[in-house]
Amino acid sequence: MRDYWLSKLFFDLQSPPFADEFRADRRKVLDRYPLKPEVRSAVEADDVAFLAARANPYLLRFYFLMAGMPEDEFLRRIRASAPAPATKAAHG
Amino acid sequence: MAELAGVYAASHGPMIVRNWEKLSATERNGLTLAFSELGRRIRAARPDVLVVISPDHWVNFFIDNLPAICVGVGEVHDGPPEPWLHEFPHRSLPGHPALAEHIVRHAVEHDFEPSVSYRLALDHGFCIPLWKAGLDPLPAIVPVIFNDLEPPFPSVKRCFDWGAMLAQAVASFPGKLRVGILATGGLSHSIGEPDMGRIDEAFDRDCIRRFERGDPRALIDFLNERLPSAGNGASEVRNWVAAHGAAHGRGFELIRYDPIPNVYVGCGFAAWNVSARS
Repeated sequence: MRDYWLSKLFFDLQSPPFADEFRADRRKVLDRYPLKPEVRSAVEADDVAFLAARANPYLLRFYFLMAGMPEDEFLRRIRASAPAPATKAAHG
Repeated sequence: MAELAGVYAASHGPMIVRNWEKLSATERNGLTLAFSELGRRIRAARPDVLVVISPDHWVNFFIDNLPAICVGVGEVHDGPPEPWLHEFPHRSLPGHPALAEHIVRHAVEHDFEPSVSYRLALDHGFCIPLWKAGLDPLPAIVPVIFNDLEPPFPSVKRCFDWGAMLAQAVASFPGKLRVGILATGGLSHSIGEPDMGRIDEAFDRDCIRRFERGDPRALIDFLNERLPSAGNGASEVRNWVAAHGAAHGRGFELIRYDPIPNVYVGCGFAAWNVSARS
């Protein structure tokens, strides 16, 4: 299952000027998206496993790259996340 | 009548460009040889138009409107929007509306339902192979986007049938035109999932053997069973299956295969023999 507004946030952040704005003031950008409280908290906490169950894996990977998480750290966190049924369905 | 000049497949992993400096000399050499041989073969086939089958990596479409298959009928396509592809030499790529519209018409007349776009941006899935194969000047490009990224996906069999229909559409185009088909993506890889970075080399080699052998039914059965466990990126093998359909299920010739951990992808390159009559 996808969380629409989380996905929309990740999708919109592909715009480089918007990504700059996000990196400068994450909270200000998040205020514009009607994210569920637990989803917003997960974004603020860089909770890879929680977000992985709610967004397309390519968008998730893009988001953390854009947000500046080092590749090794992202790999460590995504590998530690349990494959939830929702993400399992996203396999080719 | 138009002629099918050649059918090809190539991987397109972003790390081929983004991580190039960090690849080992052996990895770089393998990719350079693969792309240059692909380019040599495509140039030798002298295509006026290349129909390029690739997924859209969240550039043109989103989950509020996500076509299974979309044909780009525009006179021009935008170049890749990825900032790390700023060295790609073209900010726009020429289209071929006459062939693209003929393909759409032929598809609908044969019970297929493509969506159409008059203006697509072509991301790395299209542009890395075109660039690294050294196709400059570019032939006209008819982009065909297959949704390989977000379920529900077109079935493997439907992709094969799409390719067969595409070859019929080319053959029935009323104009003297040489048309190539290039499928991009694959082979196994996993992006943004718990097994990210895993390359399923056993799948890749088995897959290649089955493409070499031909036998579409066996290939489709194999992929239906194995795609779900070969990493989410392996879904792009659907594009290769369409190319296989366009080549009438005749076996392909492998140009090169290298599993490259620094690219995260089992990188495969191939060309189908389209000169033999079926």
